[in-house]
Amino acid sequence: MLSVHDVEKSFGGIKAVDGCSLKIKKSAIVGVIGPNGAGKTTLFRIISGFEKPDNGTIVFNGEDIEGVTSFAIARKGLIRTFQISKALTKLTVEENMLLAPQFQHGERIWNVWLRPKDVKRQEEENIEKAHALLEFLGLLRLKDEYAGALSGGQKKLLEIARALMADPKMLLLDEPFAGVNPTLAMKILERIKELRDNNGITVLVIEHDMPKIMQLSDHIYVLNKGKVIASGAPEEVRANEQVVEAYLGGVWGELR
Amino acid sequence: MIEYLPYVITVLLIAAIYAIFSLGLNLEWGFTGLINFGHVAFFAIGAYTTVLLNLSGVPLLLSVIAGVALAGLCGGLLGIPTLKLREDYLAIVTIGFAEIIRFFLLNEEWLTRGPMGVHVFSRPFEELIPGDYNFFLFPFVLVVLVICYLLLEKLIKSPWGRVLKSIREDEDVPASLGKNVFSYKIQALVLGSMIAGLAGSLLAFYLQYINPRNFMPIETFYAWIAVVLGGSGNNKGTILGALILWTFFSGTRFAQGYLPFSPTQMGALRILFIGVLLIMIMMFKPEGLLGKKEELTLAR
Amino acid sequence: MLQLVVNGLVLGSILALAAIGLSMMYSILNFANFAHGDFLALGAYLTFVFSAILGVHLILAGAIAVVITALVAVCCDYVIWKPMRKKGAGSVTLIIISIGLALFLRNLIIFLWGPDLKRYDLPVKRGIELGSVVITQNQIVVIMVAIICMFLVHYLLKKTTIGKAMRALSDNIDLAKASGIDVDRVIRYTWAIGMALAAVGGILYGLITNINPNMGWFMLLPMFAAVILGGIGSPYGAMLGGIIIGLAQELSTAILPTEYKLAVAFVIMIAVLFVRPRGILGS
Ligand SMILES: Nc1ncnc2c1ncn2[C@@H]1O[C@H](COP(=O)(O)OP(=O)(O)O)[C@@H](O)[C@H]1O
Ligand SMILES: [Mg+2]
Repeated sequence: MLSVHDVEKSFGGIKAVDGCSLKIKKSAIVGVIGPNGAGKTTLFRIISGFEKPDNGTIVFNGEDIEGVTSFAIARKGLIRTFQISKALTKLTVEENMLLAPQFQHGERIWNVWLRPKDVKRQEEENIEKAHALLEFLGLLRLKDEYAGALSGGQKKLLEIARALMADPKMLLLDEPFAGVNPTLAMKILERIKELRDNNGITVLVIEHDMPKIMQLSDHIYVLNKGKVIASGAPEEVRANEQVVEAYLGGVWGELR
Repeated sequence: MIEYLPYVITVLLIAAIYAIFSLGLNLEWGFTGLINFGHVAFFAIGAYTTVLLNLSGVPLLLSVIAGVALAGLCGGLLGIPTLKLREDYLAIVTIGFAEIIRFFLLNEEWLTRGPMGVHVFSRPFEELIPGDYNFFLFPFVLVVLVICYLLLEKLIKSPWGRVLKSIREDEDVPASLGKNVFSYKIQALVLGSMIAGLAGSLLAFYLQYINPRNFMPIETFYAWIAVVLGGSGNNKGTILGALILWTFFSGTRFAQGYLPFSPTQMGALRILFIGVLLIMIMMFKPEGLLGKKEELTLAR
Repeated sequence: MLQLVVNGLVLGSILALAAIGLSMMYSILNFANFAHGDFLALGAYLTFVFSAILGVHLILAGAIAVVITALVAVCCDYVIWKPMRKKGAGSVTLIIISIGLALFLRNLIIFLWGPDLKRYDLPVKRGIELGSVVITQNQIVVIMVAIICMFLVHYLLKKTTIGKAMRALSDNIDLAKASGIDVDRVIRYTWAIGMALAAVGGILYGLITNINPNMGWFMLLPMFAAVILGGIGSPYGAMLGGIIIGLAQELSTAILPTEYKLAVAFVIMIAVLFVRPRGILGS
């Protein structure tokens, strides 16, 4: 589904991403872990077209996508969320959700003026879908609130819901559960797995919470200083000497 | 009382023309967050194209359409080099463009008759209107204003408008959801410029005689005051803002007799006041009179 | 032709001086100050007031004007910019406030001193003829003063503590804050120095031609063109950009009507945006 080959990116003197390669199969749920500053977010920004890599190739769904602009990549079905949540605070929760569906009739001026019926019908379908998702995440009663009024955790939820609203083929989630309460996080995990099983969606997720990522992923990549230092099934990574060494004593001590 | 009626109608007529002009800016700035400091250029392009084409024999309606189209085209062309870069480049480029258009109008006498200006050849339904033409032009402009307002409201409440508002807040989000941000910004700029062009045609019908002095840089900031005072991103507010502005201007004309200042000084005072007002609103009430505080962000 | 080059260098040095401050504010406060040109005009008018009206010697009048302009800029920082920084206002808001300030300053000048052309009370001296080229003494003064100011700026940025702090701020404001630099103080100095340079530019402009309330407005576009051409945030780029724009504007008069000088700056600016948006020396 996604294959990243030898991607490099430096800022000034710092090599944020230093020759990363990943291969992600369709319908896989793949985790990316690594200490702060390892280059995980930068890698995501490169994959999603928000940053141009200095080097390397990225193939998504059989298409070369490095150098393609962010919106065009999103249109191909590769949807990302942001580490620092980017709920649009000046729009209502519902408007945030309705922004996401792609190729809406009402996104063209002529359709708005000349085909108001089609626009309205599609809008109603989207509203229904949005309400169902919001209901599931327990945000439905907040639908008319400005997203700026939500708590940090709620904003992260809204962002995930919004990404799902876009009908992605593949999701890139950057620390989606930071600040989300654990029971709800479990519920979302289940939902993501369900989407994978039923719709064949592929997920690449950065997460700090070890138990969660071990439980969720089929495969894990470990990044450190811009390089992939280990990869494999969760049990393999857990057992990997190098990984343990890299994090021993840090926040990552729990890996043991 | 009745002897004041023509005067009142005239003030309302001008306010309505400027309301249309300002609605164009509100689409760009209020809804999309684009800083256009050269809005007057499109006003001028609309006015001059309409009048010059009509003078050379093109039917009036067609001349107006051409003016609107040319204004839109120029808006789009200015957007191309700037809208992918930082947001202030558009401000710089539009401000320069407006000055260049004005110099062009002043200097290319073969086309525009330079500082002497041009007389309007014909006006809509002029031959059918007995008496004071403004009594017809005012309702006519009012109808155009209402149509513009309704079409814009429809757009703003549509998915298209939602994308604009998302760009205004943080363009990374619509981009991450597959919206072509650049294209939407161009669309907003083109449409806003077209509206300004239309307002320019109407201004020409009111003035009957246009010259480059009608399109000084300050005109742009009249629109800015109307938009910001009424509430950025609120079309009703923009119309209210334009009305307040022109009521205030006509008020200062009455005040002139009681103040010890020359007409030049009064003119300077007025614009000075506009400047102070712009600063005050942005500092203390950025949401304006009718805008919603929750929808406005300072941090841009 | 050579005459145009001389004129271009003279105009270019003025633009260069004025553009330094604009570029510094642009990178340190991260916004385009549309009132910059009107501070330039303010400097020129204050000099006029002190010399031609109050009879102070021109050099002294110029010095007083520069100090007052810098003080006005610092006052503006206290009254407008600092509170807005505290509110976390972004560049877009600041730009709109700056255009309000521009309208205010320009029309204050018109209100107080009228809209017509003014000139300094200068003795008319013969120019120096070098072959077909005539250089007036004032033109030489302009170039000399500009060169001295540029060296001062260079010294300030490279050698003094405040200059180093300014560069640190313009490189990375968060890092500068974290390293304990008093950001507000550095910003005040930047305003004072940037606007003092603009005022000097305005005064020099008054040496070569008439001054009028709109002079700042007409200089604004060339100044922005210089800043963008040189690269935003690079004082040396601004100097270089200023000279190039000045030269281009004067040389264009060989083939275009003089009224289109402004269009030349505009076209160069657009070309830079297309070809190399970060400018010659920008990072
Ligand atoms: N825009 C940028 N400019 C400069 N340095 C950056 C930028 N983005 C990231 N970096 C640097 O790249 C490195 C990797 O950062 P990041 O990808 O955010 O790590 P992670 O997400 O793994 O915590 C860090 O050292 C960070 O400082
Ligand atoms: Mg990160």
